[in-house]
Amino acid sequence: MKNYLGESNNRGFAGISSILYVDTKLFIAIITITILGLITIYSSSGNELSLVIKQSTRVVIGLIAMVFLAQVHPDNLRLFAPVLYFLTILLLILVLLFGVGHSADRWLDLYFIRFQPSELMKIFVPLMLASYYSDKPLPPNISYIFIAIILVLLPVFLIMKQPDLGTALLIGMSGAIAILLAGMSLKFFFVTTFSTAALLPVLWMNMHQYQKQRVLTFFNPESDPLGSGYHLMQSKIALGSGGFFGKGLFNGTQSKLGFVPEHSTDFIFTAFGEEFGFLGVIILMSLYLFIALRGISISIKATDNFGRILTGTLSLTIFLYVLVNVGMVIGFLPVVGAPLPFMSYGGTSMVTLFATFGMIMSVKSHQRILRK
Amino acid sequence: MKTKARKDSIRYRRKIEEKYSWDRLSDIDEERRSHKKRSIIAAILVIFIFATYLVKLYEVQVSSHEYYTVKSDSNRIKIRPVQATRGIIYDRNGLIVAKNINTFDLIVKKERIKNKGIFYKNLKRLLPTTPTDIKNIQSQFKNRRLKDITILEDITLEEYSKISVDQYILPEIELVNKSRRKYIEPLATSHVVGYLGKVSDYDIESSVFKIHVGMTDIGKLGIERFYQNILSGRPGFEKLETDAQGEVIRVLEKREPHRGKDIYLTLDLKLQKYIYSQVKGKEGAVVVMNPKNGDILAFVSFPGYNTNLFTKSISNKKYNELIQSPGRPLINRVIAGQYPPGSTIKPFMGLIALEQSIIDPEKLMYCNGSYILGKHKRPFRCWKKEGHGKVNLSFSITQSCDVFFYKLSELTGIDLISENLYKFGFGNKTYIDLYDEKPGLIPDRAWKLKTKQLPWYPGETLNIGIGQGYFLATPIQLTLGTSVLAGNGKTYLPHLLLGSKNKTSGEFLNYKNSENKFEADIDQDYLDIIQHAMWRVVNEKGVGTASHLGKIRNIEVAGKTGTSQVYNLDKGKTGTKKLQDHALFISYAPFDNPEIVVTVVVENGGSGSGTAAPIAKSIINYYFKNKKQVALK
Repeated sequence: MKNYLGESNNRGFAGISSILYVDTKLFIAIITITILGLITIYSSSGNELSLVIKQSTRVVIGLIAMVFLAQVHPDNLRLFAPVLYFLTILLLILVLLFGVGHSADRWLDLYFIRFQPSELMKIFVPLMLASYYSDKPLPPNISYIFIAIILVLLPVFLIMKQPDLGTALLIGMSGAIAILLAGMSLKFFFVTTFSTAALLPVLWMNMHQYQKQRVLTFFNPESDPLGSGYHLMQSKIALGSGGFFGKGLFNGTQSKLGFVPEHSTDFIFTAFGEEFGFLGVIILMSLYLFIALRGISISIKATDNFGRILTGTLSLTIFLYVLVNVGMVIGFLPVVGAPLPFMSYGGTSMVTLFATFGMIMSVKSHQRILRK
Repeated sequence: MKTKARKDSIRYRRKIEEKYSWDRLSDIDEERRSHKKRSIIAAILVIFIFATYLVKLYEVQVSSHEYYTVKSDSNRIKIRPVQATRGIIYDRNGLIVAKNINTFDLIVKKERIKNKGIFYKNLKRLLPTTPTDIKNIQSQFKNRRLKDITILEDITLEEYSKISVDQYILPEIELVNKSRRKYIEPLATSHVVGYLGKVSDYDIESSVFKIHVGMTDIGKLGIERFYQNILSGRPGFEKLETDAQGEVIRVLEKREPHRGKDIYLTLDLKLQKYIYSQVKGKEGAVVVMNPKNGDILAFVSFPGYNTNLFTKSISNKKYNELIQSPGRPLINRVIAGQYPPGSTIKPFMGLIALEQSIIDPEKLMYCNGSYILGKHKRPFRCWKKEGHGKVNLSFSITQSCDVFFYKLSELTGIDLISENLYKFGFGNKTYIDLYDEKPGLIPDRAWKLKTKQLPWYPGETLNIGIGQGYFLATPIQLTLGTSVLAGNGKTYLPHLLLGSKNKTSGEFLNYKNSENKFEADIDQDYLDIIQHAMWRVVNEKGVGTASHLGKIRNIEVAGKTGTSQVYNLDKGKTGTKKLQDHALFISYAPFDNPEIVVTVVVENGGSGSGTAAPIAKSIINYYFKNKKQVALK
């Protein structure tokens, strides 16, 4: 089915998906992960239904956001990107001024809703960069790269100030992915990376004590088994005691008895791995891999630069989040506060993620057929 | 109109497209190809990293599964020991000597203390603490076997409720119900019963004691220590599942503790208590033993000390007070107090001389108050300056004539004396059922050469002959020796255990006397002479050194007084050395069929006849009075 402008919905099969511009395969993968997440939250919280209900509400909101964004034509996304980006920058400044939260001010309380603007930035930075590069000849020249870097570093700096090092780093990396996909020369990339590495001591000096401690503990977790290394040790114990088949649903002792901290949020992978074992972990990781590869395939098939950069960056970024979170619980990476996509308990992140996939689906469903 | 508008729109669109296509005209395919290349590289990277992660996850979850399972279990499963009830100690009549009482302790579980500095700060806010308290708590921290730290011991519920008002300051504290040892007569029985304390490294290294997992208390001294393995029982345990905060979720497994066995002692608690009341303010030892079976009826070392103080963690200050106390109450004088026996050794010396045919029983010697040996310038003096005149052996014992025994020991010689003293139990531990017994000392030529690098001088033999000089004996040895005389050479090893009772099964095990019997080969004729002389000591009016005692309840007593002189430290009173008289008295009664042997030693107590003998008299009197009453019942 093609319309008069040669647009195609490229629908595999008819039905709701064709009307709603939803990609069925991506949707099934996402929903499966989300359901696994809800089960894990229910189990690790000691069968507390209230958490599951709360999370389910967010899932519904997320789904609505996703379906809504899938309807929006990518051109409109492209046009709105700068507005959304600068609005969120404003919100980040507001967080610094009026933020609420336990240890670090990450939350913005708008009285009717409480959310983390930093989570929004996870989509808006790739969106902004894709939009920025959409009308530029690629590969970008130095001045375009420079402006893009500023567009990335501005929110990164604001989020680091909150302080939320984890999110800041993730956003910085998603920006780097976007610029790389735009066609930045690898030579230039490595030069920039190494010069940034040279700036690490400056970053270290600006880090908070607890952040420094986490990084230090990462390099030697057994040195302080009851302090910062405790999280990592307990996480490994939980995963390891799960074995190949897991302890079984609702039988995870490590998470349930409170040895694994944050078992519903940052360490939900641990709780999942304890109960579902290596088998469950393979399935879950494969779902994430599938999502990432499908996103890349959509990106390759996209007809314009905006679509390519946006979908490519977003799918790689989601996979990066998975890598950072799982890397953290198995001791590959330092303990930074990074949620596991579609699994971790948390509102803003859940809605943002669904929105991300709404945009990917929009690009896929609204693409023009290739001229050739 | 419609078509025109559409045409315009298409034209406008083209215009825009042309504008852009000019810009990127040559790029559009290149851009797609470049993006595709980069995307494929990214996909390969993604798959590669995915594989790396799976390898790592496999390593953690499958390869190290067992290692982490153990860790996970040790995380959640805690073993809590359940202390066994310690056996109760009874005396021979079934009176309680030591029992268990319930008290409340204020404790803190070590695992709940995250920061020691904050803990001490809050503790000071909650309770008035002295630096010694803090030191005590710190030492408990260091003791790795203790899982809990005891902050306050033995508090009432009322005291606790006062503290609990401010408990928010230190929410880690807990009140635990604890079983504590209580001694009914702590002062009178302190040395014989001993006390309970916390298990120390020293106890664990000793192979004698069975230290069960989770055991916190152990007998430190006395019967509590010697029969530790019988009394203690075996602790049980509870396997608990706990959460990360250490709160108990459920009990997974439980093993009940085994109660320790009760012990019956040969002691007569009433007699023991009576004796202790008779020796107030004095220092020394009293032993009452039944020579027919070796039962120790009373075992008093005085002064005593309050053993109930030791079952709590005694404060350093109190402990130092006890150590520095001039009466030195911590010494168990009955088995570890070594005294020159003085004239109480004379019956034994006489017996040795008779057996070795050194003298004839009726041989007379002349005592003029002093004895001159060879070239010695200074004469050896008799206690009676004017001398006893012509004396034989029996009279010399009765009157305790020193000159006779100077002569006698010179004739016998140190070799025969030292050789034969062993058969009365001197010079060796008696192996009474207590630890830390001292063996006393029988000196001989070899001993002197070895320790002093000097030859034996004949004058020293004379000193040994009257129980002075190097010769040392403990009160329990004197008791054993006396029981050899009283039992016509037959005697039993002194012992404190009467039997043990398993309260759960009701099984009673008796101490077997027959296995601990021993017989000294002594000629009965000679023994008669000595026994009679000892009878004369108490019963021959105006002659015997203890004849002022008179008859006791129509019971004939035989005995021997002794006053030994010791050049010794003045026990801190003046800090100078001076001569001290130890008063001693050995006795047995009734004379014809001895039931009890009574030994009394009073340090620095004046003369044997003046101080020690009257104490023995009152003991014998009390014993037979109460025995009669028991019989009447």
